[in-house]
Amino acid sequence: MRVLVTGMGGELGTRLAQLLEARDEVDEIIGVDFVPPRRRLRRSEFKRIDPRDREKLGDFVAEVAPEAVVHYGVYEPDSRLNQYDAREFTEACTVSALGAAARAGSLERVVVRSGLEVYGRGPGFPMVPDEDAPLAPTTPYGRSLLEVETMAAALVRRLGIPVASLRLAPVLGSHVPSPLGRLLRLPAVPVPAVGDPAFQLLHQEDAAVAMVEALLRGIDGPLNVVGDGAVSAWQVVRLGGRIPIPIAGPVWSFARQVAEVAGAPVPPHVLELMRRGRAGDASRAAAVLGRRELRPTLEVCTELYEWGTVTPLRRGEQAA
Amino acid sequence: MVIDAAEIRQRGQGSDQGRAPESPLTLLRRRIDGRFQVDAFGGDAQLMDMLGWALGLAVRVEVEHAERFPRTGGALLVANRGVGVVEPAALAVGFRKVTGRRIRVIGAPDAPVLGDLIRKLGALGTHPSDVAALLRAGHVAAAPLAMTWLRNGAGAPPREMLAAILGFPVVPVAVVPGGPASLPIRPWRVIVGPIVETETDAVPGDTLAAAELAERTRTAVRRLLAAA
Repeated sequence: MRVLVTGMGGELGTRLAQLLEARDEVDEIIGVDFVPPRRRLRRSEFKRIDPRDREKLGDFVAEVAPEAVVHYGVYEPDSRLNQYDAREFTEACTVSALGAAARAGSLERVVVRSGLEVYGRGPGFPMVPDEDAPLAPTTPYGRSLLEVETMAAALVRRLGIPVASLRLAPVLGSHVPSPLGRLLRLPAVPVPAVGDPAFQLLHQEDAAVAMVEALLRGIDGPLNVVGDGAVSAWQVVRLGGRIPIPIAGPVWSFARQVAEVAGAPVPPHVLELMRRGRAGDASRAAAVLGRRELRPTLEVCTELYEWGTVTPLRRGEQAA
Repeated sequence: MVIDAAEIRQRGQGSDQGRAPESPLTLLRRRIDGRFQVDAFGGDAQLMDMLGWALGLAVRVEVEHAERFPRTGGALLVANRGVGVVEPAALAVGFRKVTGRRIRVIGAPDAPVLGDLIRKLGALGTHPSDVAALLRAGHVAAAPLAMTWLRNGAGAPPREMLAAILGFPVVPVAVVPGGPASLPIRPWRVIVGPIVETETDAVPGDTLAAAELAERTRTAVRRLLAAA
């Protein structure tokens, strides 16, 4: 199988390529992104293309003529790109890469990255949506994801091939650039004063493995991929030894500005997660992707704080 | 895409066993340090146990046919309700006393802050798909029939909810005040009925099977009430 991986330069894209390299069913792995992969890859080929250069990307993909596409070129706002760029890159990458791959004629299956943000948190919609729940995104990122899913679903109608959209819970991990991760790692973190809703997370390894499994099993349709259990903002912040600062109502806009100055911009979908929570029902994924246990949300959080950028001097070590 | 429903139903079992109350100091310390459990439905295990303990002191309950309460796995208890919250509370206390499991009462308002607080205490929104997800996760939910205010008997059953949870056991329950005119002189009586029969091959979303199940559930609750 000749696999095209868009967004290979991201942490998840690189890990995904590594996992694909270990599988015998995959003959060729070709990656594109606007930044190079983050780790050494052995048999993948990588081409650095800015997705905004639509013609170049389209020509390259047409030349590759992939049999399978893993579309990881879905950029979260304030992760590595600002909100406007993230939207533009996502849209450009989806249109050119999927469009060209479909025209090239040898496309057999597609897996796209989506997120729980696509369900939105509007009133009257389920709190823990399953895959059949209505899609009513309430944030720019959610709308962007819905656009990606709709475009991918159009391929099903045109080519009649399996298209899986994996709705991942927010991915936090020791190396994943993520606005939520940055916010939670601030020394003092704004948390909702009352309410403190629960949210669910996903480990980066599980995210990459789920994408590989979905690709190799040729899964069709949407699938929620969510770590077991949940946490609340107050809980995470305290477990990480940070200071929670209770925020309510209009004070949030001020808190966001302070956080941005401190190096953790808070895009609308992260604010929504903090204030209204985010969850999804992953019982279908457990059945479809095999009985592999996903790392619990709480473990993802603990790992987030274990990653020390700067090695702190502890009292015992100071004397040594 | 074939999904093994039984396998899904098995997930997350045994995680809803209530714990005995701790000393207020330990409790407070756990709250502050973040050493508590929340789940995807917004429930906070520690707060649920606290509320269950407090309600157990406030509401006295006698359970009849306690062996019919489900000990493991997801199930929906359907009970009658007057106007207040006393019937669901009595049911929750009775269920907890007998099985030691936490129970989710359906009917939390869909409001940002208030809803979150009530969900922490173990309530759940009324959205059918949320209830289905809860049962798949192996929890037990209590759904009230429609309110019967100044009337006797069983109200209309939650038909959409039953359509979403087809395949899980539905247990009819009658909650009746012990003393005359609902006076708290005798404990509440919680009478558990046998599991309502469903079509064995019905899949979630089968409206006809759900409507039949709804009628059977209503009849079962009505019979229990009449016999009480």
